[in-house]
Amino acid sequence: MSDVTKAPGRFGRLYRGLTTVDFVGRRKVWFTISIVIILVGLGSLSIRGFNLGIDFKGGSSWEVLAPKTSVSAVTHSVEKAGLSSPIVEKLGSDTYQVTADLNAFSAAKQLSVTTDVVNALAKVANVNPNQVSTSSVGPTWGGQITNRALEALIVFFIAVVAYISIRFEPKMAIAAFVAMVHDLLVTVGVYSLFGFQITPDTVIAILTILGYSLYDTVVVFDRVRDNAGGVLKSGDITYGEMVNLSMNQTLARSINTSLVAILPVLAVLLVGADLLGATTLQNYGLALFVGLTSGAYSSIFIASPLLAWMKEREPRFRDLAERVAQRSDHRILSPATAALLTGDGAQRTVGVARSTRTSTVSPRARKQKRR
Amino acid sequence: MIVSLVLTIAIAFGSLATTLSLGWGPKLGLDLAGGLSVVYKPVTPTSKANMQEVVQILTNRVNGLGVSGAQVNLQGKNVVVSVPGVTDARKVLALVGETAQLLFRPVLCQVTEAKKVYKYSGTLPACGATYALTESNLAVTPAPNTAAGYNWDSSIQPDPKYADVATTTPIDDVKNKSVILPVLGSKGVRYLLGPAQMTGQSIGKAYAQIDTAGAWVVNYTLTSKGSPLWDKVANENFHQELAIELDGVIQSAPLIQPTQATFSSFGGQGEISGSFTEGSAKNLAIAMEFGALPVRLQALTTQTVSPTLGHSALVAGLGAGLVGLALVLLYTILYYRALGLVIVLGLSVTAALLWAIISALGHTAFAPSFDLAGVTGLIVSIGITVDSYIVYFERLKDEARAGRSIRTSVDRGFRSAWRTVLAADTVSLLAAVLLYLIAVGDVRGFAFFLGLSTLMDVFITWYFTRPLVILLGRRGSQSTSALSMAAGLSSGVHE
Repeated sequence: MSDVTKAPGRFGRLYRGLTTVDFVGRRKVWFTISIVIILVGLGSLSIRGFNLGIDFKGGSSWEVLAPKTSVSAVTHSVEKAGLSSPIVEKLGSDTYQVTADLNAFSAAKQLSVTTDVVNALAKVANVNPNQVSTSSVGPTWGGQITNRALEALIVFFIAVVAYISIRFEPKMAIAAFVAMVHDLLVTVGVYSLFGFQITPDTVIAILTILGYSLYDTVVVFDRVRDNAGGVLKSGDITYGEMVNLSMNQTLARSINTSLVAILPVLAVLLVGADLLGATTLQNYGLALFVGLTSGAYSSIFIASPLLAWMKEREPRFRDLAERVAQRSDHRILSPATAALLTGDGAQRTVGVARSTRTSTVSPRARKQKRR
Repeated sequence: MIVSLVLTIAIAFGSLATTLSLGWGPKLGLDLAGGLSVVYKPVTPTSKANMQEVVQILTNRVNGLGVSGAQVNLQGKNVVVSVPGVTDARKVLALVGETAQLLFRPVLCQVTEAKKVYKYSGTLPACGATYALTESNLAVTPAPNTAAGYNWDSSIQPDPKYADVATTTPIDDVKNKSVILPVLGSKGVRYLLGPAQMTGQSIGKAYAQIDTAGAWVVNYTLTSKGSPLWDKVANENFHQELAIELDGVIQSAPLIQPTQATFSSFGGQGEISGSFTEGSAKNLAIAMEFGALPVRLQALTTQTVSPTLGHSALVAGLGAGLVGLALVLLYTILYYRALGLVIVLGLSVTAALLWAIISALGHTAFAPSFDLAGVTGLIVSIGITVDSYIVYFERLKDEARAGRSIRTSVDRGFRSAWRTVLAADTVSLLAAVLLYLIAVGDVRGFAFFLGLSTLMDVFITWYFTRPLVILLGRRGSQSTSALSMAAGLSSGVHE
C-alpha cells in the first residue's frame, strides 16, 4: 500500500492483511508450473514405472531389531538359509529388513524357508526366534487393496462433486475436482520420479491427501461465496479480482493451516521413521508430506484461478469486468482495505442480525448469507 | 456460555480420569502390541452364510488355543484373523493354518471319561488286551438277515487305565502321535487313536444322501491318488473302526466293511451308514470334503510382529505425535500470542476427551484396534483441529480490521467461521466414512480415528472454543489485561 510510511516486511504484510498478490492474473504461470511437474512425473511413470512393495508383487519380508550387526552379515546369513536374491535394508538406527520373493516355491517349502530365515536372523541378531517379525503376501493381495482403494476413490469423487455442487455451486465443484486430480498426479509422479516404494499405506495416504486438499479448497471457496454476496455486489471489482481478494483474505489462514498440517507429518517422517525406524510411519509420512504440499499449492494456485477463469466467461461477469475496466477509480483491494470498505454497512447488519436471530426472514433486501 | 465451557472441561477431564482410574487403555493393534494377522480368501466364490460359518469355526479354533484378544472378522469377502500380544506368533499361525485338515486315525480302544485331569507327557500307554478294539476282539461277522447286516462283540468296555489322562489339547494333537479325543455328540465318550494314516486330501467329494432303506448316509469319492491309499488303509483296518478326526473331535468312527467277509477294493468311492440324522450326515459330508471349513481358504497375507518391534513402533508413533504437537503449539503461540493459549487449552481438552473415548472403545468389540495407521490418522487430525482455530482467528482479525469492537468481532467472526468449519469438516468426515466403509485392512483404523477426531473438532469448536473466546472478548473490552484478545489482534487493528 502506498500510504503506509514504514513498509512492513512480507510476513508483516501477511499478518496485517495487506497482501495484494495477483493469484488470478498470473494463472498461466501457475498452470504451466503444474503441467510441467505433472508431465515430468508422467514421463517418469511411463519409462520407470513404480517401485512396488511386496504387498503388490507378492513376497516375504522379515524384520529384526539387531543393534550389533551389519547388512553384509545379515545378507550372508539369510543367503545361507536358502534365499536366492534377498534385499537387505537397514531401517532407522538398528532394525534390519530382509525382503525376498518365495512365491515360486510350494506352500510347504515356503513355510520351511521362512522358518529357516527366522532362525538365521535370530542367530545373527542374537535374539530368540520369537523376536523376528515376518510378513508374507500372496501375489493377489495388493491388487485387491488397490481395487478397493480405487473404488473408494471413485465414490469419494462423486460424493464430493455432488456435495460442493449443492452446498456451493457446480463450477466450484469442477475447480475443486481439478485441484484434486492435480494433487493425485503430482504425488504419483513424485513417487515414480524418486523411486519411493509404493505400499498399501501409500494408497491410504493418497486418499487422505485428496480429502485434505479438498478441505483446503473448501475453506477458500467459502470465502469466495461470502464475497460474491458482499463486495462483488458493489460493482467495483470484477469476479477475478473478487477471487483474488478472497485468496488474499484467506492467505494467512492457508499458509498457517498448511504449516500446521505439515509440521506433524514432518515429525512423523523425521522422528518416527528416520530416527526410530518405523516403516509404516515412513510410508504414510512420505506420501502425506508430498501430498499436503501439493494440496496447499493447488488450493491456492490451481483451484481458485481456475474458478475465476470459468466464472469470468459467464456473460454477466464479462459485462461486469467491462464496466469495471471503464471506471477511473479502479484499484486493487487488500484484505484490510476491503474490510474497511464493508465495515460501515456491515455494522448495521450486525444490529439487524442480532435482533432477528430466531427469525427466518431477513428484513434487508440485500441477500445476507450469514445465518 | 460459562456453563457449557465448564461442562465441557469437566466432561473431558472427568472421563479421562475415569478411564485412567479404571486402568482402561486403548486396544492396541498387532503392529504396536506384537502378534499375528492373517488374511484368508475363499478359493472359490461362496455365500455370505458360508463365510460367517468360516468366521465362527476360526473363532472357536483360535480361542481354543487359549490366547486372549483374538479377533476373527469378515472384511468384504475376506476373513481376517488377528491375534495381538502373543509371544510365539508362529506356533499359533501353524495351528490356525494346519488344523483345517481332516485326519483318519485307527481306533485303538475306547477309554473312560477323565476324572482327575492332568496333562500327560510322553507317549500314551497301550490299551489293555481285553479292551483293545482289534479285529479278533471285535469279531465282526456279516449277517445279512439282521437289521444292521452284521454281528459284532458289543461288550468290550472302555479301558479304565486312562481315567486320569486328559483329552489331548490342540497343541499336542499332532498327526504322527497317538491321541485321546472326544466323540462328536456323545458326551463323555473318548477314544484312544493311533497316528493318522490318511488326511482329508484323499477325499474328492462327499455328500449326504438317503439310501434305499430310507436312512441318511454319507457317500464319498476318492481322488485318483487317494483311492489306492484308502484301499491300503481300509485293508489294514479291515473289520475295525477308523476314526475321522477334525479339529480334535472325532466326527465319526465307522467299522470298515462289516458286511463283507473278506476285504475288497473300494474302487474310488465309499459309503458311511449308521444312525445319522439329516443334519449330522450333512455336517459329516461338509467336514469330509472341506476339512473344517465349508470352503477352502487361501492365505493372502500373513504377518507376525514381534513384541519388541511393536513396542519400538509404539514409541516411534507417540514420539512423532508429541514432537509434531509441540511444533504446532510453538508456532501458534508465536503467531497468535494470547490466542495461541486458547489453542493449547482447546487441544488439551480435545486430547483428554479423545483418549478417554479411544480407551473406552477399546473395551467394546465395535472399534478397530488402535494401530500405527490409527496413530497416523490422529497425527493428521492435529492439522484439521488446529485449522478450525486458525479459520476463526483469521476471521476475528478481519472483523477487527473492519473497525469493529472486539466484543462484536468475536460474535460475528465465530458465526462466519462456524460455517466454514462445518463445510470443511463435512468433507473430511465424508472422506473418513467412505474410506471406512469401502477400504480393507489398516485403512479402516486410519479412517476411523480420523473421522472420530473430526467429529470431536466440531464438538469442541462449538462447546469449548466459542464460549471461551467470547468470554475472553467480553473481558477484553472492559479491561486491557495482557491475556485479553487484544494481544493477538492489536497489530492488525490500527495501521
